[in-house]
Amino acid sequence: MSPEKTILEVIAPTVEEAVSRGLDQLGLPEEAVEVEVLDQGAKGLFGLGNRQARVRLIVRPISLGEKTTAAEPGTGSTPSRASGEDDDYPLELARHVVEELITRMKVNAKVESSWVEQHNGSPEPMVLVDVHGEDLSILIGRRSEVLNSLQYITSLIVSKELGKWIPLMIDIQGYRTRRERQLRQLAQRMAEQAVHSGRRQVLEPMSASERRIIHLELRDHPDVVTESVGDEPNRKVTILLKR
Amino acid sequence: MKELVEYIATALVDNPAEVSVKQSRDFGNKVNLELQVAKEDMGRIIGKSGRVANSIRVLLRVAAARDNKQVNLDVVEGR
Repeated sequence: MSPEKTILEVIAPTVEEAVSRGLDQLGLPEEAVEVEVLDQGAKGLFGLGNRQARVRLIVRPISLGEKTTAAEPGTGSTPSRASGEDDDYPLELARHVVEELITRMKVNAKVESSWVEQHNGSPEPMVLVDVHGEDLSILIGRRSEVLNSLQYITSLIVSKELGKWIPLMIDIQGYRTRRERQLRQLAQRMAEQAVHSGRRQVLEPMSASERRIIHLELRDHPDVVTESVGDEPNRKVTILLKR
Repeated sequence: MKELVEYIATALVDNPAEVSVKQSRDFGNKVNLELQVAKEDMGRIIGKSGRVANSIRVLLRVAAARDNKQVNLDVVEGR
């Protein structure tokens, strides 16, 4: 087990909200963290004795099987680790898994992988799997449902094989990059509107990673704060004026 | 379709030898797949609030659409 742990403490009105806010911030799925409830919180009468819930999220060094260890790559049908190639094994593995999946989905495409920096400035790099080809919109799906599922299943398989969770993103024909730019612009426009109207702006429902882009974009905004409300899959970001 | 489910399930479970996928008769364009895994692997295939199983279904739907089929996936426990 790695001695380095990322720990995040979140305070919110309810435990569920605190957990999902924390996951938003980390940009990780629920499986990647261990949740420790520090304080369940309490609902007071008419706001008296009201206490917020507090949770601690610990990013798991080992996310899936307790049986696999970080030092021991598993023995599956996936390519085996050659000595001296430790650094790029996750890349090759991720590329291989995505290829196997899309081939079985009867889609023809070229798959490449590389190490990229994470958006949150974490020193740990992230695996980016790029899929190129013709007519790949079927791999994105409505509200990027297919792309997200592909990424989720790939992450699970890669993590299981490596014995630890590694950050991984799949992009299809530059969709994520384009979408991220759109979301940043949207965030700025809606923030402007919130300032002008003085009213809370509610965005359309988005996935955790998309909400995260909005939160990050407006993190240092002088006049507004962002907050996610509602339950998955209809959770949305709202933008409101700073008090 | 069957191969897709087999690949994912085998890669995710602790007992890959106990993974089996059965494809029932087609009714028109409807296909029913039954994925069987060892009891202790059920959680891994279904996931929290069914997230893993649902993701498998989403990918499966793409594969099925390629053949103009509709597919249903059931996950059952082996004995």
